[in-house]
Amino acid sequence: MRALVIDDSRAMRRIVSAALEGFGYETRQAGHGQEALDVLQEGYAPDLCTIDWNMPVMDGLQFVSAVRANPAWRALTLMMVTSESEQGQIVRALAAGAHEYVIKPFTADALRDKLALLGMLPEEAVL
Amino acid sequence: MTLAPDAVGRPPQPRPAIPALIDEATVESIAGETWIALVGEDEVLVPIPGDLPEDTLSAWVDVVGPWTGSVVLTTGRQTAADLTRALLGEAAPELLDHEDVADAFGEIANVVGGNVKAAIPGPSTLGLPEVGPAPAVRNPADVCRIEVCWRGQPLVVSVQGALPSLPVPNTQHDNPHQNGASQ
Amino acid sequence: MTLTTTSFDWVRQLVHRESAIVLAPGKEYLVEARLLPIARSMGLPDVGQLVDSVRTRPSPESTRKIVEALTTNETSWFRDGDPFTALTSTVLPSLLSARGPAERLQIWSAACSSGQEPYTIAMLLEDAMPTASTRVAITATDLSREMVERTRAGRFSQLEVNRGLPAAMLVRHFTRAGTEWQVSPSLRRMVTVSECNLAAPLPRMGPFDVVYLRNVLIYFDLPTKQAILRRVRALMRPDGWLFLGAAETTLGVDDSWERVVIGRSSAYRPLKGN
Repeated sequence: MRALVIDDSRAMRRIVSAALEGFGYETRQAGHGQEALDVLQEGYAPDLCTIDWNMPVMDGLQFVSAVRANPAWRALTLMMVTSESEQGQIVRALAAGAHEYVIKPFTADALRDKLALLGMLPEEAVL
Repeated sequence: MTLAPDAVGRPPQPRPAIPALIDEATVESIAGETWIALVGEDEVLVPIPGDLPEDTLSAWVDVVGPWTGSVVLTTGRQTAADLTRALLGEAAPELLDHEDVADAFGEIANVVGGNVKAAIPGPSTLGLPEVGPAPAVRNPADVCRIEVCWRGQPLVVSVQGALPSLPVPNTQHDNPHQNGASQ
Repeated sequence: MTLTTTSFDWVRQLVHRESAIVLAPGKEYLVEARLLPIARSMGLPDVGQLVDSVRTRPSPESTRKIVEALTTNETSWFRDGDPFTALTSTVLPSLLSARGPAERLQIWSAACSSGQEPYTIAMLLEDAMPTASTRVAITATDLSREMVERTRAGRFSQLEVNRGLPAAMLVRHFTRAGTEWQVSPSLRRMVTVSECNLAAPLPRMGPFDVVYLRNVLIYFDLPTKQAILRRVRALMRPDGWLFLGAAETTLGVDDSWERVVIGRSSAYRPLKGN
């Protein structure tokens, strides 16, 4: 399975990517929403996007809305991974079309649990 | 939902100061959880104060909402570099440049700041992390500050208002110096 | 550092035996940090003395505390999600059709820990049937008073709600309270919490339609396992359902149960005539 890790922090992209790779994902990275849209438009077809909220150029919520507006990307699973954790923000992200929401700080176990809920753990697919 | 319609047109309410919205223990638990999840599961923040070295670096995020201010992390430059290495793990370059440290330390400030923001009355918006010399404290009464040690090195988390203190309220009996002989 | 190599090795062996988790050398610091609160709660000054005390007087309670402190950071909500899927897909429909409309279903979460399991059950039921709060009663018990109080409070940290709780359920069933999340009053009303030692005669409870007894039996020897299963069965309805942990079974322990496969999970039902 493939994942696109979207976060403006390189350190955080590395942490999320390392966790996903540990679960068997191939990953690519983008530093903001617009860069991620460009990667998708180039034809990269991930199964999963992990999305930070606050980023320069295009934030995570705008990215989610843009992906949801394009039927070609309907199969893409969108998971917010952000320190934004007001209840109203989580509701907004889900309403915009995010499937799941992981609050920073998180552990690799937390990511794994959420992916398991979504049926998106590659190991399980192998079993 | 929280804004009563008749709130408009009333005289402005006094701005809440941060000590009324969050306490040290809460800031400490937010920072502690951030360290354990992000830096490493053995990376405990010990709540003992220490003297910051001369050469410090701060990372902060701004919170704008019913309360407006910054969540500022300050530590020695070397400690900030050690934190960066802990976050980057095997991916850390041999020589860290300022951008590496700004990125990693800034992200820690973002995580602590996001959680502080969610613990105080909202809705508020969170700015992107900034790194440099710490922003000045505008109003000493609008600060919630904790001092901790990480791997024996001092670190300060300061939740501080961005606005100067309000002018002295016009309720005169609050301030005997202003009009000493009256009453 | 109060932990000798011998004590550390004893802890490592214990954790490996009970959980198959390997604590690497060099994790003395972690053992110290995680076990110190347990030592303090038992009135002991340090972890070395805790280990000595448990070695000379072993008890399932202290063993469990030590293993849990070292193996679980936070309990997951849908930990091994299959027993919960089985509840809504198979068990609940079958029970609802077997019982009268006025009969209340009784569900027991027998080792509720900090409350994730009973509230997971309550959320699933409330989402599956609008009348859940009047049709179902959930009893949650735990050996530890601290866990009972935590379950009763129904407040969870950010790290706890991050562990396998679907975001949609979080915003639907919880409210943020400072850095924590408070479970909704309607769920709390469905759950009654009390202390209960499964290894001793049980209080009058039930009869239960469904029992979740997960990751408890592993801590006990065979005769105690048998006694617990016998006592649990005495509190169950004859057509009730028992869920054990993924690594647990009644097979070879107590032959008065029938194993039923539900999807990817298994449940155990009392055999008739026993």
